[in-house]
Amino acid sequence: MRSLYKLTMVLVVLSMVLAACTTPTAAPTAAPKATDVPAAKATEAPKPTEAPKPTEAPKPTEVPVVEVANPPATPEQVDAISLEGKKIEVTFWHNRSEKDQAFLQGMLDEFNASNPYGITAKAEIGGASYNDLYTKVSAAIQAGQPPSMSLAYQNQAAFYRGQGAVIDLNPFIKSSKYGFTEEDLKDYFPAFLASDANPQYKGEILGFPTQRSMDVMYYNVDWLNALGYTEPPKDWATFEEIVCKAAKETDKYGWAFRHDASNFASMVFSNGGRIIAEDGSAYVFNSDAGVAAATTVKNVFANKCAVEIPTSEKYGEQTRFGNGQVLFVFASSSGLLYYKDAVEKGANFKWSIAMLPNSGKPAVNLYGASISVYKTTPEQELAAWLVIKFLGEKEQTSRWAIQTGYLPVRASAKEAVITSEKWGPVAEAYAQMFDWAQYAMVEAPVAGYDPVRSIIDTDVMSKIVADPTLDPKTLLDAAVAAANAVLAENAPK
Amino acid sequence: MSESTLSQTRKNERHPFNWGRFFIYVVLVIGALVSVIPFVYMVLSSFKSYGSVIANNFWPWWPFGTEPLQFSNYPEAITDIGFDKTWNMPLFFRYLANSLIVSGCIVLGTVTTSTLAAYAFAYIKVPGKSLMFLLILATLMIPNDLTLVPKLVMMYNFKWYNNYQALIIPFTVSVFGIFLLRQYFMQIPKDLFDAAKIDGAGHLRYLWSIVMPLSKPALITIALLNFIWSWDSFKWPLLVTRDSSMRVLAVGLQQFLVGEGGTKIHLMMAFASMVVVPVLIFYFFTQKYFTEGIAKTGIKG
Repeated sequence: MRSLYKLTMVLVVLSMVLAACTTPTAAPTAAPKATDVPAAKATEAPKPTEAPKPTEAPKPTEVPVVEVANPPATPEQVDAISLEGKKIEVTFWHNRSEKDQAFLQGMLDEFNASNPYGITAKAEIGGASYNDLYTKVSAAIQAGQPPSMSLAYQNQAAFYRGQGAVIDLNPFIKSSKYGFTEEDLKDYFPAFLASDANPQYKGEILGFPTQRSMDVMYYNVDWLNALGYTEPPKDWATFEEIVCKAAKETDKYGWAFRHDASNFASMVFSNGGRIIAEDGSAYVFNSDAGVAAATTVKNVFANKCAVEIPTSEKYGEQTRFGNGQVLFVFASSSGLLYYKDAVEKGANFKWSIAMLPNSGKPAVNLYGASISVYKTTPEQELAAWLVIKFLGEKEQTSRWAIQTGYLPVRASAKEAVITSEKWGPVAEAYAQMFDWAQYAMVEAPVAGYDPVRSIIDTDVMSKIVADPTLDPKTLLDAAVAAANAVLAENAPK
Repeated sequence: MSESTLSQTRKNERHPFNWGRFFIYVVLVIGALVSVIPFVYMVLSSFKSYGSVIANNFWPWWPFGTEPLQFSNYPEAITDIGFDKTWNMPLFFRYLANSLIVSGCIVLGTVTTSTLAAYAFAYIKVPGKSLMFLLILATLMIPNDLTLVPKLVMMYNFKWYNNYQALIIPFTVSVFGIFLLRQYFMQIPKDLFDAAKIDGAGHLRYLWSIVMPLSKPALITIALLNFIWSWDSFKWPLLVTRDSSMRVLAVGLQQFLVGEGGTKIHLMMAFASMVVVPVLIFYFFTQKYFTEGIAKTGIKG
């Protein structure tokens, strides 16, 4: 009760205090009407003096932002790629031996130490043969883990391109920042550069050459002289004549015929023909040149003047040549040092190389895989390109040629290479090939050429060798029909 | 009839001339020669000079020739394929070590998994066991090349590329091994299993103490076959490795066939002769069991 009384007293006092504090309110008289004061506008507070606008900095000249596609489609896009601070690693798959791998890595180490972008290039053996390498690259592409770059034949590169895995190098070559100068390009053998332009993909360059070889005719000079000839045959009729003269002795033959579509291709070229049309639209090896080539094979086997080297006898033609059992062999120039060894350890005679006989227009079948770059990132692709560019420089291509027996890809490298002590007695033979490079031709840089090679070998060459009475034209027509079916199947979609 | 004539007649009665048997022996002898000739060619060529090899001189040594045996081909073949800077010795030894590690692990893994799986299929009652066995056997019909890419993708995904795991683990299960051992296990009398069960043995005890000792020939056959397969394996080790330090002898051997130019046949044969030595040693010690294992399971080739 007492608490309630106290609370009431506190509230009363509090209310009195509050009442005393309020302003006394006048009696509510009627408020006079407001005099209409000329509507004087309320004096506006003076606006603060506006600060002068800062002087605009002159706009920088606008550089058009180049959007870089993957892969870069133009040289400008390549120019726009920056490698600063990226420290990219480049893997290069090849099919050379461990010794060559060590040599190659040695060159790449120089690149790694000298390039201003911190690129690290690493060479790796992807197989012992081009087929092994092809298997490994194909599997890696399927797995989405391709290398940065690898060796690939033109037809293999076309196959990879069909899967969108290999890129066009044109924008890189033409890049003003990272590409070649006119002078550089002139130094490359034109035929070598042209060999990588793919007709099925509008001239896209699907690889870049750092090494090349060619199909040449190895011949036994002593034996040829003994037969009464002072120089190797220049035309196919003389070739047949000499081959059959040489085969008069027991167990000796004028020519070792190796089972390989490339041998046939070389003969077609030197008869003035082609394996595939220039635009890659159809196989044309059933032309007159193809028939002439197949007829030569037919004639020498009908007269038992040549010996067939079965596929299983790898390099059998080389060992027979070294042993003095055959007069002529068509084989890759990259085997020059192996032939030197075979002859020195074998029958030890004087020998040399020549272009294959021809029908008036010289031609050589160009061998050698190029380096293709795989679709990864623009930076990675550019880094790979810079490694290729390095390997193609005069210094590197010379050293690589001397190490492996291949031809360098630049004309300026000739002197450095041919004066190497490595060639010994075959230096002169090796040097000749630089003059033959102008006649270079490539077989078929299209996807699906490998099965076509098998068709040529099994459906044409093997049949003619086994039964020289067969009509070459009929066999070639059937083979071309089958080859064109393969071409259509593998054509770009 | 004299004593000697009688004895001859008895001999003929015991082994009468049989044209069928004669024909079989002729075929077998031809088969044996076909198998042996490449081996003989390899060993002989490994001791010849390059000149003798290309001249197809079968026996260039005394008494038909004057050439000494070219023992130097062997060290030359070892050094010819390159040098391992990490081990500071020829790469050959790195390859050899890798081959031994990989083949050893594969043999161990295959024998283990095949034994356990075969035992389960032979002794343990599981619903759908036959169907499962058929499904496993069906995988034998899939060509290896078809599974190459999927397996490679798995290796990349598992981060096993360029590692021993990629070289070993995919081969530690062998369908052929499971099949062969199951056939063998099923020939062991069930009474033994019952007796062991009465004595208190469980499955693992029975497997370890009874089945495995009785199946020694089959187990050794599995071990030997898998050793040979893994030892000779080339494509897979090439696909899943990138460094020379991870590669095996079969990959090293292929290096003698590099490029378009040519090869040194005598060195290649010396290298090949060295590569087959471990297989021969393994076979030499296990030959008796191997023949028995194949014969008893009725599996040939």
